[in-house]
Amino acid sequence: MSLADYYIWLKAVHVAVALLFVSGVVATSLTLALLSTMPRESEKFVAGMRRYDRWVTVPAMIAVWLFGTGLAVSGSWFGQGWLSAKLGFVVLISGLHGVQSGRLRRLGAGASPVTVRSLPLVLFAAIAIAVLAVAKP
Amino acid sequence: MKKEIKINIALLGQLKLASVIEASTLALLLCVAVPLKHLWDWPGAVRAMGPLHGLAFIFYGWVLLQTVGAGVWPRRQIALLAASAFVPFAGFFASRYIRRHIEALDREYAAK
Repeated sequence: MSLADYYIWLKAVHVAVALLFVSGVVATSLTLALLSTMPRESEKFVAGMRRYDRWVTVPAMIAVWLFGTGLAVSGSWFGQGWLSAKLGFVVLISGLHGVQSGRLRRLGAGASPVTVRSLPLVLFAAIAIAVLAVAKP
Repeated sequence: MKKEIKINIALLGQLKLASVIEASTLALLLCVAVPLKHLWDWPGAVRAMGPLHGLAFIFYGWVLLQTVGAGVWPRRQIALLAASAFVPFAGFFASRYIRRHIEALDREYAAK
């Protein structure tokens, strides 16, 4: 198998885990935005969201970073403007996910929900990442 | 309340581990890998330690943000803990500070 063959598989896995990661962050954002409007007995829902975050979203985020770094190295793209901008958005979305994950833990411990409006920022970052990765302007 | 303290203790345990890893990889990078590159013309160690420290730095930042989301720290302490990741050896002091915080939470947990 040549390096070009590996590249296409690396890219395929990177896109797959990126989809899982972003969908997980969007779901958590929605949960945190809407939880205060939900009926009081939402502990089971929060526990389910925490489990999903722990077993799907976090591993997907780690895989995104590892495969993304592999792709950037294989294409010698480090230092190019589009990748630096994309990395900025990836750091932003990963950081937001860290804060959201902490909030979910707190909610799981019985803290009262506070409305968090991070969804527009997450969606904007996801669109920007997709455009930068495909168009490489 | 007791459950919240328990979750905070678990999160701070992860943060302590992350700060030790971050500080150790930075110390190895600066004290071993960089001299090997510039004094003995052997860049292999920097090539290995650089990305490793990068990953440790990201892990520390991510766990710190989790503690921010969980509401463990006031803003000043968040800024100090974030700054400690940029100063060589400061991560070791940060881990001691986090350990003291865990011990205080342990006492609070036992008293409840």
